[in-house]
Amino acid sequence: MSVGILALGAANSHSLVHALRRAGADAVMLEHPEELGAVGALVLPGVAHVGYLIQALDRGNWRAPVLAAIVSGLPTLGICAGFQLLCTRTEEAPALSGLGIFSGTVTKLSGEKVPHMGWSIAEATTSAFESGWAYFAHSYAPPAALRETLATTKCATAFASAAGTGKVMGVQFHPERSGAYGARLLRRFVRLARERAHAG
Amino acid sequence: MPAKRIVACLDVKNGRVIKGVRFEELRDAGDPASCALQYCREGIDELVMLDVSATLEGRLASLQTVERISSEIDIPLTVGGGVRGKDDAIAILDAGADKVALNTAAVDDPAVLQRLASRYGSQCVVLSIDARRTNEGYQVATHSATQTTLLDALQWARIGAALGAGEILLTAIDRDGTREGFDLALITDFSRGLNVPLIASGGARNADSFADALAAGADAALAASVFHGGLLSVAEVKQRCRERAIGVRP
Repeated sequence: MSVGILALGAANSHSLVHALRRAGADAVMLEHPEELGAVGALVLPGVAHVGYLIQALDRGNWRAPVLAAIVSGLPTLGICAGFQLLCTRTEEAPALSGLGIFSGTVTKLSGEKVPHMGWSIAEATTSAFESGWAYFAHSYAPPAALRETLATTKCATAFASAAGTGKVMGVQFHPERSGAYGARLLRRFVRLARERAHAG
Repeated sequence: MPAKRIVACLDVKNGRVIKGVRFEELRDAGDPASCALQYCREGIDELVMLDVSATLEGRLASLQTVERISSEIDIPLTVGGGVRGKDDAIAILDAGADKVALNTAAVDDPAVLQRLASRYGSQCVVLSIDARRTNEGYQVATHSATQTTLLDALQWARIGAALGAGEILLTAIDRDGTREGFDLALITDFSRGLNVPLIASGGARNADSFADALAAGADAALAASVFHGGLLSVAEVKQRCRERAIGVRP
């Protein structure tokens, strides 16, 4: 079963590829929208300015096929800016639209020191999600009050550190760099993708 | 606020971890990927790899070493050394670094911080500052601390943060490898004067010295030789921090 990582020019794809391999998946970089049909799951990576990411999404004609894939139930994981991309819009690039899977506007973090950089607890707001220590590196975040929030984290104020609906999930932290906690999340994601592949 | 971080630094030269005193007298301390994995297992929060001879030799940090380390670990990795501009930074990030540290290149062309932040976001851009104590205060040194500029270190950090650096890695040159303890006055000044996270480096001695640096306002405390030499374990450092009511990751 292969997991496709959207190649939008974000950094850290290398860490993701290795982390997904450790989680038992075969990770491949997706360079063209037609390759979406060949993967059992999709990752929207994350180390980027979200405006750059949205523009790359539209420049590469990814928007419609990615939305269609998510709506059709392709297991999808958005990481950091990839999570923000799944929201309606963002203060970081107010003129651009996100994918709108999660209804909410990504806002700039308040607090003495921004970016929020380092290890914080993602606190589950539902028993369907696991709490744990996760690695964060971001200046913007989705609001805690998203309808689909699975976990929140407190910086100066609380934000959504994870959200999910159906088979799509977004996490504000970096599971590929969050030690054992992140590894468990990726393994669950890979398992979900594998179950769907077998069912389909 | 996130937990305070304990960071191990791998100073790499010719594909090996080395350690020196005040940037000189370099000694071999092992294979970078093995060291990295070992620190990961011991509970280090983050790793920094600096290719210490890259700038002096006019080349970029060893991408092969970055790849080897990155593929082994499941915690964040910052890489610096010989990063001349945006293209070098991209090469380092593509090789598996989560953050890229700029030092000399940012002094030569501060706008590079802005260019990198606009593509990757500030959280990816670390401004590394080697601060040398002089009669004028703390001044910025470049080229692996072989040249000293007239730039005031804190002023430069503030400019860097305004341009897009999302974190400052501050090394007190005069403490580097000396095990005299971190420069707490310098850390306090920087912490008060900055609105981005601060990694303090230079002078780590014992578990208490880390707690001192974090209590003085650093968001992370970095060391190389005390960890490489096996003089101190990560667990010991974290235990002492907890005893002193400093929040660290278990």
